[in-house]
Amino acid sequence: MTMTKPVPSPQRRRPAAFWATPAVSVALGLAMGAASWAGGDRAFAVFAVALMTALAIALVVAASYSETVGRLLDRRDERITGLDRDASLFAGMVLVVAVLGGFIGELATGGDGRPYSWMGAVAGVSYVAALITLRLRR
Amino acid sequence: MRNDVRALRTARSLSQAQLADALGVSRQTVNSIETGRYTPSLPLAIALARLFQTPVEEMFHDDDQARAEPTA
Repeated sequence: MTMTKPVPSPQRRRPAAFWATPAVSVALGLAMGAASWAGGDRAFAVFAVALMTALAIALVVAASYSETVGRLLDRRDERITGLDRDASLFAGMVLVVAVLGGFIGELATGGDGRPYSWMGAVAGVSYVAALITLRLRR
Repeated sequence: MRNDVRALRTARSLSQAQLADALGVSRQTVNSIETGRYTPSLPLAIALARLFQTPVEEMFHDDDQARAEPTA
């Protein structure tokens, strides 16, 4: 058997998706910075912008050294994208358990469950909405 | 799921990195497929089949199905 399809040279140009996470990091930093500045904490505003910008730069630099980080950012590798999806699912489930624990703790201390009740409601409604949307698509 | 990807790759003197570049995936993913730790999606399996000019069903072997099939 011979392989007729030539092996292409590695594609070095980064797709637009690669920049999404660093851009979100910087945008979050700016949002936190603006909120802190408006709230009067100017030192934290500067710190938030610097921290989130540094995180974005660290991600881009790490992508040059780590295949995993690079593929997490550009989302071109189905296995690493699947790992990201499963890790996100696990983190989401841990968050739901933490919210439920907080809700029960609030009830036990005489509270009405807020803000955990709202967070739990958002999670529940989001799940049902996602389920319906995905069901219609697949 | 067992597969013949490593044998097909080495028969063509390709490195894992070269195969990964040809498929548009990471070298880690090629290694995971070869060791059976990761079963590729149908599009990626078809890309492998086209690259190696080998039918998908000859490249991947479903051991569970083979055990379930009655023997003559």
